[in-house]
Amino acid sequence: MAPDEIVFWVFAPISIGSAIAMLLQRNAVHAALFLVVNFFTIAVFYLVLGASFLFAVQIIVYAGAIMVLFLFVIMLLGVDREETLVERLRGQRVLAVVLGAGIAIELVVAIRAGIGFATKAPANFDETVNQGGNAQALARVLFLQYFFPFEVTSVLLIVAAIAVVVFASRRRRAITRAEAVTAGHREAA
Amino acid sequence: MLDLVWLIPLLPLAGAAVNLLLGRRLGKAAGWLATGLVGLGFVLAVAALVDLLGLPADQRVHVANLFDWITVGTFSVDVALRVDPLSITMTLVVTGVGALIHLYAIGYMDHDPRFGVFFAHLNLFVFFMLMLVLADNYLLLYLGWEGVGLCSYLLIGFWFERPSASSAAKKAFVTTRIGDAAMLLGIVLIWLHVGSLDFGAVFGRGASELTQGAATAIALLLLAGAIGKSAQLPLHVWLPDAMEGPTPVSALIHAATMVTAGVYLVVRSHVLFELSGTALTVVLVVGLVSALYAALASIGQFDLKRALAYSTMSQIGFMFFAAGMRFYTGAMLLLVCHAFYKALLFLTAGNVLHGLHDETDMRRMGGLRADMPLSAAWFTLGALSLAGIPPLAGFFAKDQIVGFAATSGREVAWVLASLGAFLSALYIARPLFLTFFGRRRGREHAHEAPGPMQAPLAVLAFLTVVGGLFLGLTAEGGRLARFLEPVVGVVEHGEAALPEAALISISVVLALAAVAVAFWIWASGRVDWEAFPQRQPELAGWLANAFYLNTLYAWLVQHPGKAFGRALTVVDDRVIDGAVNEVAEDVVDASGVAPRIQRGFVRSYALAFLLGAVALLLFLGLRA
Amino acid sequence: MSTPIAYFVAVSAMLFAIGTVGVLVRKNALVIFMSVELQLNAVNLALVAFSRMHGNLNGQVVAFFSMVVAAAEVVVGLAIIVTVYRRRQSASVDDLTVLRG
Repeated sequence: MAPDEIVFWVFAPISIGSAIAMLLQRNAVHAALFLVVNFFTIAVFYLVLGASFLFAVQIIVYAGAIMVLFLFVIMLLGVDREETLVERLRGQRVLAVVLGAGIAIELVVAIRAGIGFATKAPANFDETVNQGGNAQALARVLFLQYFFPFEVTSVLLIVAAIAVVVFASRRRRAITRAEAVTAGHREAA
Repeated sequence: MLDLVWLIPLLPLAGAAVNLLLGRRLGKAAGWLATGLVGLGFVLAVAALVDLLGLPADQRVHVANLFDWITVGTFSVDVALRVDPLSITMTLVVTGVGALIHLYAIGYMDHDPRFGVFFAHLNLFVFFMLMLVLADNYLLLYLGWEGVGLCSYLLIGFWFERPSASSAAKKAFVTTRIGDAAMLLGIVLIWLHVGSLDFGAVFGRGASELTQGAATAIALLLLAGAIGKSAQLPLHVWLPDAMEGPTPVSALIHAATMVTAGVYLVVRSHVLFELSGTALTVVLVVGLVSALYAALASIGQFDLKRALAYSTMSQIGFMFFAAGMRFYTGAMLLLVCHAFYKALLFLTAGNVLHGLHDETDMRRMGGLRADMPLSAAWFTLGALSLAGIPPLAGFFAKDQIVGFAATSGREVAWVLASLGAFLSALYIARPLFLTFFGRRRGREHAHEAPGPMQAPLAVLAFLTVVGGLFLGLTAEGGRLARFLEPVVGVVEHGEAALPEAALISISVVLALAAVAVAFWIWASGRVDWEAFPQRQPELAGWLANAFYLNTLYAWLVQHPGKAFGRALTVVDDRVIDGAVNEVAEDVVDASGVAPRIQRGFVRSYALAFLLGAVALLLFLGLRA
Repeated sequence: MSTPIAYFVAVSAMLFAIGTVGVLVRKNALVIFMSVELQLNAVNLALVAFSRMHGNLNGQVVAFFSMVVAAAEVVVGLAIIVTVYRRRQSASVDDLTVLRG
């Protein structure tokens, strides 16, 4: 068995297992931790697939920044309390599982119909595509072909940051005209 | 004139239209207009009679074809008027007696707020009655038939604010409807078998083509109509109640004209009746039984008008009886004489009502001779005529019929007819004595009717006195009999067991005896007739309630009818309304379910998304 | 590489399905959000796998952008959840029924 095969067959079950575990955790913090595990496995997959830069980014950004943020909020709000097991909506769980399985099956069937389960990746990826290393190759594509989307995305990040600052910091704000009218109506009634 | 005979019915029709539209503005003139038009009709009828007499006896038929009425496929009926001795006789009676009654009504209905409408209805009635008697085919006759039924309804229920009046009108209409429906079937049968409804065709060609069975069926169906319209058993129940209408209405419609339409129909269709022997027998039996039944019922009535109503039914029974023996001229003579004296009696009763402010119960009358001498005289004349005292008109008419029964070989019929004659005298002398003679039982002082109201009565009294002498001196030789012969055939009768003089004496003696008995019971004061209902409650009840036939009909027809109506109401409420309400409730329930989809849970919405997505993928996948 | 690409995509599909079920079944808003992140990651995996299959870097670029945007989205989303929590003192999604018909 080739090394990549071994890696795949070791980390695939971990990936799926941790995802399912995340699903089943009653404690939000535990769920978050399992998700981190999942992200790690995906990072490994990236590596195997020849995307070493993304492997790094995944760990740094997703596991390191995003999930940390999640954990901050969970613990800040104190919502790590156990979630009740009682399901209020009848049939929700059953339907969800059924439909989820349906999605999975449909996708797998689509894959089979599309590329088939036998196709292997071209072997010389590292030599042809990742010339000079994955990061360099990626940079070439990113800053030349996808320069405009790159700039737009950076603007997006700035906007998001500003928005959050504005959003989360508002304590008192002027009562809008619509709210005044509604309150007036309520008093009259 | 014979070609202008259509003017005779047209005049009262115009009068009805004018009075309906302009009645209120005309005021009292409406009454004069109506009377004048009918009177003019009488004059024109006399002119037609003169023209008719100018023709040789066997050619006295004139058909004035006015216009094509209905032509559908092979079915064709015209509006055609027939002038022959029979129809002109009826026309003269209708317009003559009608005009007199119109004249009387001007005074009688003087204070009524709907004066103009009354005369419009009366004129309309005369129009329809004339169409009935002048028609040359069965469909036009039926038009008049139904029309007089309508006018009868309108006039009986003239004072419709009174529930008793409006229900009496309904009763009359519905009861005669039964007969009318049968009659229509008969007319249809005529059409089916003969192919035409014209009298000429039916009595000529039809006579030879019809089978006895068909003729019997037709005759019996027509007879059913006649029974309804002429208030014979078993469709008589509407006539006593019809007295709810104003007295001129009772006089005109329910004495002189409309109720005699049935007799006219039988006489006119005698060809068909003779083709089927059975039908004639039925006519005879119906007439005789009705005559006796009504006579007994009349004796039990305390309401003056109801007593007269039953007497009408009895007299018409005699007419049917005569027709059943093929003595058509006798029936017609009685019809004409009856018109005279019955109108006289009713209008005089109107005088009494007018004088006593609408009191009709004879127990509260008595001794009115002193207050109303003129009316007493009229009533006496009319009563004696009906009783059959010579030389008044009624004697000739009645006696000829009874005598004919003796000669026709039906002894039982003669005995029963004589009994009927005796009862007739009895039942008409009774109201005479109860009202005008004897002890004054009422508290009011009655005032005599004014002059204008007495004038027509004088004319009618005159006719009652001389009518018989003029028209029907003898059974075969009387003017009317000879006049009608071409239409109805020669009177044929056999020999009687007793000589004619004896028969006449017997009937006169019976009549006088009856009057004497009536005097003794009700006028002499020697018999306590007022205590009779208490002493013999059962018998009194049977008589007063006319043998409880009304009750029987109520039980047989009304109660099931009402029960059916109630059942249908239940069906309507529960089933039909229920279904509608059910649908509404289902909609409401459904709309109660619908909001459950939108409960506000985000996760439900998300599930819906997923469901859609999976379905879409499935669809796309299957397509590829 | 000797593993068929389809296997990576299959793993991606399963992770995506699990994320979907997570969105529908969990009541805690934060856990739901995490499930969404799982779905995004599954998609990124598929993108990278196909990029390898096609022999160009387009898939990786898109996956890169996806990560950036996901980061921005997480920031805003968490801000919203915090605000909602401040108002209603509950992070359960079932309590947000204002849209109820």
